[in-house]
Amino acid sequence: MNAYVIDKGSLNVLLDRFLNEYKVYGPTKPGMDSTFDEIHFIKDLHLDYISTILPPKKFFHPPKETLFSFEIKNRKFSSNEIIKDDKILLFGIHPCDVHAILKLDKFFSGDFKDLYYQNRRKNSIIIALNCIEPCENSFCTSTKTGPFLKDGYDLLLTDIGTKYLLEIGTKTGRFLIERLNLKKANKVDINEKNKRLKLMEKKFKKFLNISLLPRIARENTDHKVWIDLAERGGVAGSFPCLSCGSCTFVCPTCYCYDVYDTMDISLKSGTRNRELDSCQLLEYAAVALDGNFRRDRKDRIRHWMMCKFGAAAGGESSSCVGCGRCIRVCPSKIDITEVAKVIRGG
Amino acid sequence: MNSFYPNQGVIKKVKFETTNTNTYTLAYSDQKLQKDFSPAPGQFIMLSIFGVGESAISLSEICKNGSIITTIRDVGSVTNSIISLKEGDYIGIRGPYGNGWPLDKIKGKDILIVSGGMGIAPLRGVINYIKNNRKEFGYLEILYGARTPDDMIFTYEFDKWRKIRKTRLELTVDSMPVKSQFECQLGLVTSCFPRMKSKPRNSVALLCGPEIMIRYAAKCLETIGFKDNQIYLSLERRMKCGIGKCGHCQVGLKFVCKDGPIFSYRDIKPFIHPL
Repeated sequence: MNAYVIDKGSLNVLLDRFLNEYKVYGPTKPGMDSTFDEIHFIKDLHLDYISTILPPKKFFHPPKETLFSFEIKNRKFSSNEIIKDDKILLFGIHPCDVHAILKLDKFFSGDFKDLYYQNRRKNSIIIALNCIEPCENSFCTSTKTGPFLKDGYDLLLTDIGTKYLLEIGTKTGRFLIERLNLKKANKVDINEKNKRLKLMEKKFKKFLNISLLPRIARENTDHKVWIDLAERGGVAGSFPCLSCGSCTFVCPTCYCYDVYDTMDISLKSGTRNRELDSCQLLEYAAVALDGNFRRDRKDRIRHWMMCKFGAAAGGESSSCVGCGRCIRVCPSKIDITEVAKVIRGG
Repeated sequence: MNSFYPNQGVIKKVKFETTNTNTYTLAYSDQKLQKDFSPAPGQFIMLSIFGVGESAISLSEICKNGSIITTIRDVGSVTNSIISLKEGDYIGIRGPYGNGWPLDKIKGKDILIVSGGMGIAPLRGVINYIKNNRKEFGYLEILYGARTPDDMIFTYEFDKWRKIRKTRLELTVDSMPVKSQFECQLGLVTSCFPRMKSKPRNSVALLCGPEIMIRYAAKCLETIGFKDNQIYLSLERRMKCGIGKCGHCQVGLKFVCKDGPIFSYRDIKPFIHPL
């Protein structure tokens, strides 16, 4: 059996073990909402959290990063790759976010590899935490990304009352807890976990039927709901989309980025950077000579919804994981689950 | 190998095309890279001007010795700074990317080439390929439209193309200002269709140009009797990475950079017509 138990009070034993070797990031609560931040002491950690504003995507695909620096000398140029090798450990990530990371892993591999992403991913350890309370807007049972995790973790914690059940997912995970002398989990602990999973699944209020969804979305590109979303509002009480791009920035599977150069004031050196971009912004599909392939707001919101329904070029790798962040941050109260219901004809 | 890292190239030759368009012959500074560079017609490269940015540019000629030949019109910030470069200047190059024209699939067929403006650039490699392997292809018809005769590029190639066996070249322009360098038919490129010799049977149409031209030309060809799998088209988007990761070039279910830029009209038809 690959499971152990650890008392809630002695969680610091586990954390101290991690702090010795890694930079540890975990959920903290600096104000009303929680966020992933660096953890120095056990008191920084706030494991009893409802999803953070920004997903842990920020550690692997940061909002802004420098790809390389360059220097121009005698009209020739030379460049230095900037690849960092910090080892990080993410403590207490929810299953939906782990699934999102697995999707991004798939997206950033393939024929052309994103070395920056893959390098950060290689140097990271994931300690996941199963959810025992659903978030207000989440629908991870529908997207099969939660509330309990099946794979993708190094270690997995589940709250089972006064203790955490600790399951091992990888060799790295086993190595991490090898010398901690933890107590093995017994049948009662495992049963408690399964009981909590069943209880938890009944508590969800939002649902998204994903069967054949990409195909249904593709066949409904001229549905009236897109104009409603963009101009008229009124999709389950929503207002018209403002094209603010909040949904794309908080989405754990949105990968789009912009690449741009910055120059030093001497005009002799500079950097090439990338920054998260949003398909909701007008400039996203702009081309030379004032062309734009998605000038209408309708086209932009449709593109994003299609992408989350798995009907865009990213396919399965950029589809929804049901974390509900976009619903929470949308100033127009647009709800992706309601949109899916409408295009399904219900 | 970092996919984002451009290699240093040098401008060997600049050839004047029109007032805002030049053809550049580039070479990698690294001999090995130069040797290994073997693109297919229709592929593109990413050109970097450090401090300005990067742009996706199609290859306008395929050279056996690894020279990189591109034709660039000044339309944005990157192309504007490329136009001001001279022979001997350095430039960042990475690529080639994309799939290229399906030369194997179109062998043995009559070829109809429909191009507008700068759209002739990625097709020039195909025309020259057909010229060099004339027996493998049937009748060749080239329709080329531009705004004015002075905006036409590769004018020095026209006579050579006319001399290819079993070939017809027709030129059209939107308007003909006085003192234009030569005369040609007025009208959009689609207005050549009634006069064309190509028949839908056993032919393939290759389209490249502004997207509005591609959409209408493809629709017109369908009404004439071309099937959607007989039409191939080359799309263009403003790409940031060229390798299918930045998301900017998405058209429906496809990335233009990775799955294209050449698509069968059958595959891309549902996505390119505005709804």
